[in-house]
Amino acid sequence: MNKYSKTLAIGEHMCYTCGEHQFRYGRKKVQSVKIQQEMTLMEKLSILTDAAKYDVACTSSGTDRRGNKKDMGNCLAAGLCHTFAADGRCVSLLKILFTNECIFNCAYCQNNCNSDVPRASFTPEEVCTLTMEFYRRNYIEGLFLSSGILISPGYTMELIYQTICRLRNVYHFNGYIHVKAIPGADPALIQKTGFLADRMSINLELPTADGLKKLAPCKSRNTILRPMRQIQNSIAENKNELVVYRKAPQFVPAGQSTQMIIGATPESDFQIMSVAEALYHNFDLKRVFYSAFINVHPDADLPVLPGGPPLLREHRLYQADWLLRYYHFTVDELLSEDRPDFNIYLDPKCDWALRHLDFFPVEINRASRRTLLRVPGIGYKSAERIVKARRTCCLDFSDLKKIGVVLKRALYFITCSGKMMYNTKIDEDYICSCLMADRTQIPREIREGGYRQISLFDSATPGESAVTQEELIRSEAVAGA
Amino acid sequence: MWTFGGQGETGRMCALRGGVFMYIFICEDSLEGIFTGVYDACASRLGHRNIHLASGEPENYELFSEYIRVTPSAEKTQKVVSTLISRFGRQFYESICQAAMSGERRSRKKMDKADAIYETILLALACGDGQKVLLSLGEPCVYRVFELCRATNREACQHLQFLRFSELENGVLFATIHPKDHILPLLAEHFSDRLPAENFMIYDAPHRLAAVHKASGGYALADAGELDHDKIKRYSGDELEYRKLWLAFFDHIAIDSRRNPALQMQMIPKRYWADTPELSRF
Ligand code: SF4
Repeated sequence: MNKYSKTLAIGEHMCYTCGEHQFRYGRKKVQSVKIQQEMTLMEKLSILTDAAKYDVACTSSGTDRRGNKKDMGNCLAAGLCHTFAADGRCVSLLKILFTNECIFNCAYCQNNCNSDVPRASFTPEEVCTLTMEFYRRNYIEGLFLSSGILISPGYTMELIYQTICRLRNVYHFNGYIHVKAIPGADPALIQKTGFLADRMSINLELPTADGLKKLAPCKSRNTILRPMRQIQNSIAENKNELVVYRKAPQFVPAGQSTQMIIGATPESDFQIMSVAEALYHNFDLKRVFYSAFINVHPDADLPVLPGGPPLLREHRLYQADWLLRYYHFTVDELLSEDRPDFNIYLDPKCDWALRHLDFFPVEINRASRRTLLRVPGIGYKSAERIVKARRTCCLDFSDLKKIGVVLKRALYFITCSGKMMYNTKIDEDYICSCLMADRTQIPREIREGGYRQISLFDSATPGESAVTQEELIRSEAVAGA
Repeated sequence: MWTFGGQGETGRMCALRGGVFMYIFICEDSLEGIFTGVYDACASRLGHRNIHLASGEPENYELFSEYIRVTPSAEKTQKVVSTLISRFGRQFYESICQAAMSGERRSRKKMDKADAIYETILLALACGDGQKVLLSLGEPCVYRVFELCRATNREACQHLQFLRFSELENGVLFATIHPKDHILPLLAEHFSDRLPAENFMIYDAPHRLAAVHKASGGYALADAGELDHDKIKRYSGDELEYRKLWLAFFDHIAIDSRRNPALQMQMIPKRYWADTPELSRF
């Protein structure tokens, strides 16, 4: 028995560490819980995977850890995806909830205390065996453990901690672990967990405090940002410690991330990206994830999105997010109060370039790396290669092609030794129509992803359902020209 | 001046200078074969301009060429390897190896693998800085090495992701793969680090090779011609249980309203499906 158990109001026995017997949770307190006795592991896994799938963060990146020659597991900085589910999303980690019982009532969540879904809870033992057995078969890269709020935030965090602790210290698992920090839990508990996990995350859920108040009344900005700050500070302290003493235990070495739901509340892209930018700057987050809102159950407070989840919007936000993290863009450059949303037809970088034609053309053989990064069609890898390769010789267009520059996008914006690739008009409307003719502006997976995105175009030209998407994009381009 | 040959412009089209024939060193398509070829070509003193390497028998033999067959030699290979590492560093050596491991089919349109490696090494020897040479993608041979290297890397990386072990009756973890390139050593390296306490075996079916790892020991590559195909189908008691759990997880993790088979197919190419339990069902 440890000190945390004393703080719990429920007088159940709960020896987490022995794992011998099933837990008995204070089920009477949780409403609408259907208790299925003797649930099989298969049933539990199905329920708790279903319950976890809307969390989008599933990367296993950020830590480089060699094996230690005796325990199972290592980590690759770039992360690995082990398979791709029917929705095309990567499966990297065993993404499950510890339990989907929850005392909170977040409107957007299928696990909230008012919804009528089958409930289940794992035992730490079960989570550990699943992780170990899946990992050694190379199904997964590690564990992503989240949880509904069972009894209290502190109680839940304790369960998560006990599970991870067991996995690391009893099973000696050395692979990747991502856990949720539960807002409102004891900071000491979050601290202990952080020394066992590779990544921790606390979901911001909604971009503004107002949205949060409306849709997740049990949560507040404060309870979310406080542990986020705590983890940030501990990571910074730990880094200093590691400088002095290399063998010191690592605290959340892969950094922390968060997630926002897009489209459940009326925020603009500008508001969302400004929040993301602030999170990167003020909280040193590694990643902000954006999750297109999916209406899982009817609720008067939630919008009904007839076109299904706003996938293209989500895609544009991710593109912009990359521009912030790797391309030295600021949100103010991309959006403003007057232009609060991204152009759905053009990616944010092309869009920016078109509005700043005076910045171009850029001379490939002279421009700084930062300047190169601003050119549509030049990614950060190609920019790196250009800078290195031009030290030895003067680059021309065929070299750029080999380096991996997407010339059909870049050609309007660059010169090689003073010459452009073709003699093109440098005219906003003209270039815009050329760029829009390029189908990759809207990724194939979204174009072909089913009925939802079609409806996006349907609404642009009502009554013309027979036209193909490409024609639509073309006609838009011409209309814009 | 007239040209002869006909194996494509990058590889073979060379002027016949003053009656000098081309010398073509035919190497075995393996690291040892190619490195021995490089060694022999350099040692032959026939003049680099008159030499080409070929990673396998040519499709048709040229009249004005002399063909020299290279017998792979561990000793010569070792000499080349140590020269490459000591003069140009590990990274250069690894890039060359990855290019050599590529299983890309030889084609008339593209420069021969062995030839590209040979010429790249010559460039590095002339310039003295291997890293710099690898960046001069304007050189056809370097670009070819870069291409091959990138392809092998991608292949290896995808196998790290999509390879699946099954537990056999005797507790050994067994995986079958069908790679295009000779990436087995890279995989064995990775999994030895990851699963040090497991006995495992990765079977590269098209190359008929296996990597065998012993718990808390190293791994070895072995010829898998004699593989007992019945034994590898006898799974342990738990195996099917965990496989079923994995399939359940896989099915439940997808979000229905985002269903997107095209994207799935793009991310995990069809040729991997047969070797993964979750996709071989479809
Ligand atoms: S706290 Fe809110 S979001 Fe989390 S499981 Fe409970 S209801 Fe869902």
